[in-house]
Amino acid sequence: MTILHNIQGFFEELRLAGVPITPSQAMDCCQALLQVDWTQEDYFYSALFSTLVKDYAYGEIFDQVFHSYFTLQFFQSSAPEKRDPIIYRQLNAIEQISISGGQMAMGISQSQGGAADSPGGTKNPLDQDFRLDSMSDIHQLEAVFPIIARRLAAKMVRKRNRNNLAKIDFRRTIRNSMSSGGVPIDLFTTKKIREKPVILALCDVSGSVMTFSCFSLALIASLERFFRKIDSFAFIDEIDEVSKLLLSGHPLDLRNHVLKHARVVGASGYTDYGVSLKAFHQRYRNYLSHKSTVLIFGDARNNWFNDESWVLQEMKKNVRKIYWFNPEPQRNWGLGDSRIFEYQKYCTQVFECSTLMQLEKAISQL
Amino acid sequence: MLNGIEELKNHMIKADYICNDKTATVLYLAQALQKPVLVEGPAGVGKTAIAQAFSRMKGIPLIRLQCYEGIDESKALYEWNYKRQLLHIQAAINQEKDSQQVEEEIFSETFLLSRPLLNSIVSDTPAVLLIDEIDKVDFEFEALLLELLSEFQITIPELGTIKARHIPYVFLTSNASRELSEALKRRCLYLYLDFPSREMEEQILLLKVPDLSQELAQKVAVVMRRIRGVEMKKLPSIAESIDWAASLIWLGKDDVDVEILLQTLNTLVKHHEDLEKIERLLYSRQDLEFR
Repeated sequence: MTILHNIQGFFEELRLAGVPITPSQAMDCCQALLQVDWTQEDYFYSALFSTLVKDYAYGEIFDQVFHSYFTLQFFQSSAPEKRDPIIYRQLNAIEQISISGGQMAMGISQSQGGAADSPGGTKNPLDQDFRLDSMSDIHQLEAVFPIIARRLAAKMVRKRNRNNLAKIDFRRTIRNSMSSGGVPIDLFTTKKIREKPVILALCDVSGSVMTFSCFSLALIASLERFFRKIDSFAFIDEIDEVSKLLLSGHPLDLRNHVLKHARVVGASGYTDYGVSLKAFHQRYRNYLSHKSTVLIFGDARNNWFNDESWVLQEMKKNVRKIYWFNPEPQRNWGLGDSRIFEYQKYCTQVFECSTLMQLEKAISQL
Repeated sequence: MLNGIEELKNHMIKADYICNDKTATVLYLAQALQKPVLVEGPAGVGKTAIAQAFSRMKGIPLIRLQCYEGIDESKALYEWNYKRQLLHIQAAINQEKDSQQVEEEIFSETFLLSRPLLNSIVSDTPAVLLIDEIDKVDFEFEALLLELLSEFQITIPELGTIKARHIPYVFLTSNASRELSEALKRRCLYLYLDFPSREMEEQILLLKVPDLSQELAQKVAVVMRRIRGVEMKKLPSIAESIDWAASLIWLGKDDVDVEILLQTLNTLVKHHEDLEKIERLLYSRQDLEFR
């Protein structure tokens, strides 16, 4: 077995863990290894890290794989050669890499074909369901929250920036060109009037939509960093403003953070959209304006309480758009205590968001 | 025999920058593989400083492009000096020159205003190119950089392709306020700078604040580490700890206690809420444990 196989094995291991490694990264990595004295772990590590990891969010996964892979290898190989780490044993193979580096990269791209079709393979976190039972799955999902939230926010920003190339202000340009004998030396453009989205987010943080609310809070929080004007509210059967809360605190802990510091639990402690919406109407109505876009995250499962959908009706008159993101699959809508259809009447659009992929799609449609 | 990385580390120290093995390795690789380095990390840990130190170490000029939202090729790459072109056309009309010739003339390098990116590849000596806060730019601009970062060339439609005379050392810094495109990241080596370890911060302080005693540096480093354990909006970075150490010297203090920290807290904490939080902690505990 050569170092080549080892490194290749390491790439595979990383891909399985969800770190996307492209063939060109693999080649870079091999080239980097040729340059450094890789008998020293620090050098070896950062040669790998700097060429393979391009996003700090993957850093932790990389570290885990790195340590398990190379220490495991170390123990396996320690029998014949006592204390030499695997990298040391393979020093002779170093020349081989330079020759076969290219071929190897090819090999990787081929072997990628099967299960690991997309980077990250079958475990594409975007495709996972929000309503997961096992905690470990949820944690796995949590690890990608900030990344995806950031990506979504970036998308919204990009949307906002598109098509605002300034037009030439002919009147000013021509008038100014008089001083230079009719030659328009300076071009004047019309000032861009950038419409700032005024976003108001309502998020159900009850237990039934636990994972989803974790994510939507992280999303709202990252949106808050992009747009100054976002008011966010969380509710179970009492509603409270959480805009400030979301800015502090770790994105993954936001839900606990909100439960601890905001008054979201009222008299009953069961999710009650009606009471929450009514409270919103009474207390925070003046937050709404004709410019606002309202985003609601929740499953509309109301525990058979009164749905008070008139609040949304009122809201609809005052705001520009209301979007509802429902983590439930569409086939379950309206079944049991779901009141989504009552609310849907007054929403601009309701999106089914049982996976992150769907949420991403929904946001891109906005 | 010193190996390349150790040597680089020592040179960097001479250029007033202390880096650990990992950082040094990445810098070494950037030289060896001629690849740009993408530096990420919290604000104030020395992302920009690393490029500055690198240029000092190499003794070559630093060309800096500060990115902002809405920056475009005319600000970063090149722009035709159209005022001069217009004047030239006007002059040409009087001289009754051939229009073909005039056209060739006005699209020559004389009428080209080169901006930082173009400067960095046409300069006579090798240069360090620092593209600061790349995450602030639009997606379109990011795509524009790809040609420069991988081929070290710039294509100007009217002139053709300009290849780099010397391949510049490129540093890109990012605060990760948005996801950079895969294409850009793929072309770079990735370096994540985090808050330094206590020992390293001590060394940095000693290097950056000349009159600082070993003892005080140690204390400052310890306190900084504890403060960073507190949940805050903006954690104080190395830049702040240097400021703080310097202000301690100015105030003639050789020890750190609650009172002096309260007095100088403004140099460390830059958010009103954080300030209140730390003050509360200090008043209630009367020690520097921050628990």
